[in-house]
Formats: sequence, C-alpha cells, structure tokens
Amino acid sequence: MIEPSLALYGDAFARVDRLLEELLEVTGVRYGLLVDRKGFVLSHKEALWAPRPPALDSVATLVASNAAATAALANMLGERTFSEQTHQGENGTLYVESVGDQALLTLIFDVAVPLGKVKVYARKSIVQLAAILEELKDIPPVQLDSDFSKGANALLDDLLG
Amino acid sequence: MSTINFAAREINCKIVYYGPGMSGKTTNLKHVFGKVPAHLRGEMVSLATEDERTLFFDFLPLDLGTVQGFKTRFHLYTVPGQVFYNASRKLILRGVDGIVFVADSAPNRLRANAESMRNLRENLAEHGIDVRDVPIVLQVNKRDLPDALPTNMIRSVIDPRQELQLFEATAHLGGGVFETLKTVSRLVLERLSQNK
Repeated sequence: MIEPSLALYGDAFARVDRLLEELLEVTGVRYGLLVDRKGFVLSHKEALWAPRPPALDSVATLVASNAAATAALANMLGERTFSEQTHQGENGTLYVESVGDQALLTLIFDVAVPLGKVKVYARKSIVQLAAILEELKDIPPVQLDSDFSKGANALLDDLLG
Repeated sequence: MSTINFAAREINCKIVYYGPGMSGKTTNLKHVFGKVPAHLRGEMVSLATEDERTLFFDFLPLDLGTVQGFKTRFHLYTVPGQVFYNASRKLILRGVDGIVFVADSAPNRLRANAESMRNLRENLAEHGIDVRDVPIVLQVNKRDLPDALPTNMIRSVIDPRQELQLFEATAHLGGGVFETLKTVSRLVLERLSQNK
C-alpha cells in the first residue's frame, strides 16, 4: 500500500456531508468537494440553485494531481507544503485547501462570492473535517468476501468481453 | 489500497499504465474510451504537449457497475514515458492498485523497456513498496511491426523470472487491450477481497 486510503463510514460520512452543506449555505459557494489525495471524491455537495456540475471524477483527479505537483514543488523549495491554491478566472474561482495530509477541500464559486469570506469559513470547516478524518484512522479494514470477487468478475466480463 | 467509501457505497481502484515513451500507453486508453459505452465511462482527460506526448497523465474513469451494493469504479491513468518526466511518474504512482507495463516491440526500444521497468521498481521503492506487492500485468505492444523482437527476448529484459502475466498487443488496432485491462482489474479485485 503506497498511500493510506480513507474509508468514510455512516456517521462520519454524514457529518462530512453536513459540514459541506453548511459551508455552501453560509458562503454561497456553488460546488464543494472533499477529495482524497489519490484523486477520488469522498463527498460532494452542490448548492440547490447550481446547474449540473462538471465531471466530478475529472475535477477530483486534476485537483489531487495539481496538489501533488505543488507539494513536490514546495519540497524542492524547502517548504513542507503549500497548503492552499486559488485559481481565479473571469467568471469563477477554484479554491483548494489541505485537510491534514489525507484530503483536499475543493470549492468552486462565482466571481461575485468574496474569496476572503470563503477562506474564513473554509478554514473553520477544515478544522472539523480534519478531526473527523483523524477519527477514521482507527477504523478496522473493510472485509470483502470471495462473493465480491466473483460478482465483480462477472461484471468485468460484461464490460470488457 | 483502494478507496472504499461505505456511506456512499463506492469502491474506487487506480490502475496505472507504465512503460517507455511512445510504447502505446495513451493508445490503450483511447481504445478503451472508444469502445466502452458512454454511460459506463467518464470523460478522458489528457494533459499532453502539442505533439500529443503525455506531459503529466491521461485519465479515464470506468464504471464497472454495482457489486454487492458497492458501486465499483476504476480510474485508469497513463504516465509520461519520456525519461525526463520522472517527477510526474512518481506522483501518478501514488495510491496505485494495479499496473499495466506497456513494452515496445521495436528493436531499438529494448533498452528503453528495461530502463522503464527499472525506473518503475525504483519509483515504487521510493514510496516504500516492493514491486511484488502490487499486481502488474505485462503488455508487449506493437506486435505488428515488421521487425518486432520476439516476445521472449523482450520479457527477458523486463521480467526475467517470468513472474508476470503477459499479453501481446496491437493497441492501435485494439488487439490485446481489453484482455490486458481485464486481467489487471481482476487481480486488483482479488486482492481487494483478500484485504491485502
């Protein structure tokens, strides 16, 4: 195993979901994602009024890869990490901040939403998100039996012939 | 190890296509993208140079379907093969669950194949992982080259102990692409159910 994996279970997942929802409500952010460092979406929320989001898989992958590249750059420059990234376009902003060493909070919002306000509330949420993820470290590994493997292999046959 | 999200009931596995530059890693993904029904795959993202050489990675998400209530998904990545992009390759190996090593059959790429496999071992070691701890499938591509080297000769420089499953391929025609992907996916899923 190269990188520890996160497993979001019932209560923890619900709490992460709720935190993202509250963050979106209070800031006016359009989309909020919690992404693991491998580029998988752990949780995501979109504002009720927001149009259909872009492909979240792709967003998560690019955000995680970008963060990994930035972290490598930080190390080369003698920093432990650069914890936040902001990309501002003509119409919107992408804001990414580390949630401990395991995950990334990714927020996408319109240009009318003040970045400073988003940062203030995001940092409050990150403290709580990091605490939830810290709890998950003690969760025992998931047990999947051989039936899972059989079922998955049947689907592989369907998908790939 | 794969990311398992219980509340959302998702299992996500990361498969990386590794190998020397121009061996056909991106071609593999393009073929999968072209053949798998649109509702079972996402967008293909390519971070490439203007002449279509992979700069950072290609990415393709595939939905396997639901197994025992878990939505199971594969994320396929390629690495940039060119020697000087090693920093990128290292980053992409982060969290890998399975690897397809795509070797080139051209005689003048024999050394590049060997160097790329050595580079893979080194990069995995830097992440603290032995090459035997992650499922790897070997794909010997470009078998339709008129001067293609014998498969055994290529294997002798990248897998001398003959430990890896090997598939011959002509990825630009689709030959061997699905067989390779299916085998590495199966190995990843088996490990998942063995909790390794």
